[in-house]
Amino acid sequence: MDLTFQSAPKPIIEFNGVSKTYNSGTHALSDVNIQINKGEFVFVVGSSGAGKSTFMKLIMREEKANTGTIMVNGFNLTKMRRKNVPMLRRTMGIVFQDFRLIPTMNVFDNVAFAMHVVGASPRTIRKEVSKALSLVGLGHKARSMPNQLSGGEQQRVGLARALVNSPDLIIADEPTGNVDPNMSYEIVSLLSAINQKGTTILMVTHDHNLVRDFHHRVIMLDGGKIVADNAGGME
Amino acid sequence: MKLSSMRYLTKEGIKNIWVNRLMTIASIGVLVACMVLIGLAMLISFNVDLALGNLEKQNVVMVFFNDKNSVIYADENPVDADKVTDDMYLIHNEQEAREVIAEIEKIANVEKGVEYISKEKALENLKESVLAGKEQYFDFLDEEGGNPLSDGAKITLSSMENFEKTVEKISKVKGIDSVQSQADIAKTINSIKSGVSVAGTWIIAILLVISLVIVSNTIRVTMYNRKLQISIMKAVGATDAFIRIPFVVEGVVIGIISALLSECVVYFCYRLAIDTIMGTLGTTQIVEFGDVAWLLLGIFAIIGVIAGIIGSVVMISKYLRKEGSEFSAI
Repeated sequence: MDLTFQSAPKPIIEFNGVSKTYNSGTHALSDVNIQINKGEFVFVVGSSGAGKSTFMKLIMREEKANTGTIMVNGFNLTKMRRKNVPMLRRTMGIVFQDFRLIPTMNVFDNVAFAMHVVGASPRTIRKEVSKALSLVGLGHKARSMPNQLSGGEQQRVGLARALVNSPDLIIADEPTGNVDPNMSYEIVSLLSAINQKGTTILMVTHDHNLVRDFHHRVIMLDGGKIVADNAGGME
Repeated sequence: MKLSSMRYLTKEGIKNIWVNRLMTIASIGVLVACMVLIGLAMLISFNVDLALGNLEKQNVVMVFFNDKNSVIYADENPVDADKVTDDMYLIHNEQEAREVIAEIEKIANVEKGVEYISKEKALENLKESVLAGKEQYFDFLDEEGGNPLSDGAKITLSSMENFEKTVEKISKVKGIDSVQSQADIAKTINSIKSGVSVAGTWIIAILLVISLVIVSNTIRVTMYNRKLQISIMKAVGATDAFIRIPFVVEGVVIGIISALLSECVVYFCYRLAIDTIMGTLGTTQIVEFGDVAWLLLGIFAIIGVIAGIIGSVVMISKYLRKEGSEFSAI
C-alpha cells in the first residue's frame, strides 16, 4: 500500500538499537529496531528462548535495556525513573497466560481493581466494569468467583480488566496458552474487535493456526533478533 | 490520593484481615503472647516499686538481744549449746531485757512503749504467719532447746529523719546483739529492685525484638501468599503507596485488636495472680489494675501498631522491588 499521501502513522512502540543481556550472561535481545504504530494488531512469534518474553518485559518496563532507546506511549523507558513506571502501565492493559486473577475477589472486583488503581470514582467504576464485562460476554457472571469459571471465562475476565481503563495499548502474553482452541479463536476475535476501535494490540503466541487465520502483522524473533516482519500476516 | 481511593484501600485492608484469617489469628496470637508477657513483667515491676515504697514508709526497727540463742546461733563462731556459759552473753532474763529497753527508750527519736517480744512469742508469731498449716513439720521447734530465735523488741521511731543515726545508736546499746531495720530490708529490696528492673528491661526488650521478628515473619508469609496480588497490582499500574496501604491498615487493625485482647488477658491473669497471692500470703497492698489500665493499653497499642506498620512497610518494600516474573521466583 502506498502511504505517501496519507498522514504519517504515529508510533506507539519504538525500539532503536535495543540490546538486553541478563546478569547471567544470556543475550536475550541484540540490536532490535522496530516500530509499532497506533491502531496496529501485531503477533509476536518465535520459539522458546527467542527473546519474546524479554521483548514484552522491556515494553512493560519490567526489565531495562542495556543499550538503545525504547519509547512506549510517549514515555522514554530508557530514562524512566522507577516511581514513574506505574504511570506507564496505566496506559496499557496486560493480559497474562495464567490469567492472574485475584482468587479472593469476584469477577466484578477483579476488573474494578484496575480502575481503583487509577483513582476512578465508584460511579465510573460501576459503569465501566459492567460495560467491559458485557463486552467480553460475562455480564451475568459479575458475582462469580474466579474458581467458578472455566479457563476461557477467566481469560475473558483478564481481558475485561485489561481494557476497562480504555488503554491505548493492550499487551497479551500468550493469552490463548491455557484455553481450548475454540476459546482461543474467541479471544483473538475479541482482541480484534477491540483493535477495530483503535486500540493497539501486541500479542505473543505460539499458535501458528491463529496467526495464519487472523491476518495481522507478524514479528518473528529468533536468537534475540527480529528475523521477519510481515505486515500482511503469515501464510 | 483521592478520598474514594483511601476508602477503598482501607476497606480492602480490613477485608484482607478476614480473607487471610488464619494468618490474622497467627499474627494476633503471637502479638498477644508477647504483649501479655510484657504487661505482666511491667505489673511485677510496678508492684515491686510499690512494695519498696511502703517499706520505706515504715519506721519500725527490730532489735535482738544478746541472749543464749544469739551465742548458739551466731553467724560467726557459734558455740555448742552445752558449752555455753552464763558469762558468754549479757541478757539472761526478761528483766535484763527490759532494762536494755529502758536504755533504748532514752534515745531521741525512739517512741515510748517499745514492745518486748520473747523468743516464745516470736515463735508463735512465726507459726501464725509463715508456718500456718504446716505446723506438723516443725514440731522440733517446740522441743526443749528447739527454738532458735532470740528475745527481741519492736521499736517505733517518731520520724524517718536521722533514721540511720538512730539505728546506729540503738545498735550500740549494751545487750543488743543485732538490729534489723526496714532500712536494711529496703537496701536489700533496693538491690533486688534494681536487679528486677534490669532483668525486666532486658526481658521486655527481648520480647519486643522477638515479637517484631515473629510479626515480620508472619507478614512475610502473608506476603508470600499474596505475591500474586502484588504482581497484579504492579501490572495494572498501582503505585507503591497504593499497594502498601491495605497492608498497613491490616497491620494497624491487627495491632489494635491484639492490644485490646492483651489488655483483657493481662487483666484476668493479674486478677487470678492477685487473688492467689492475697489468699496465701495475705499481702496487703498491691497495684490496682485500674490505675495502670490506660498506661498498659497505650503501651500495647503502640507496640501493636508499630509492629504492624514496621512489619508491613519494611517487609513489603522488599517485594515492591520485584517485577512480574520475579514474583514466581520468590
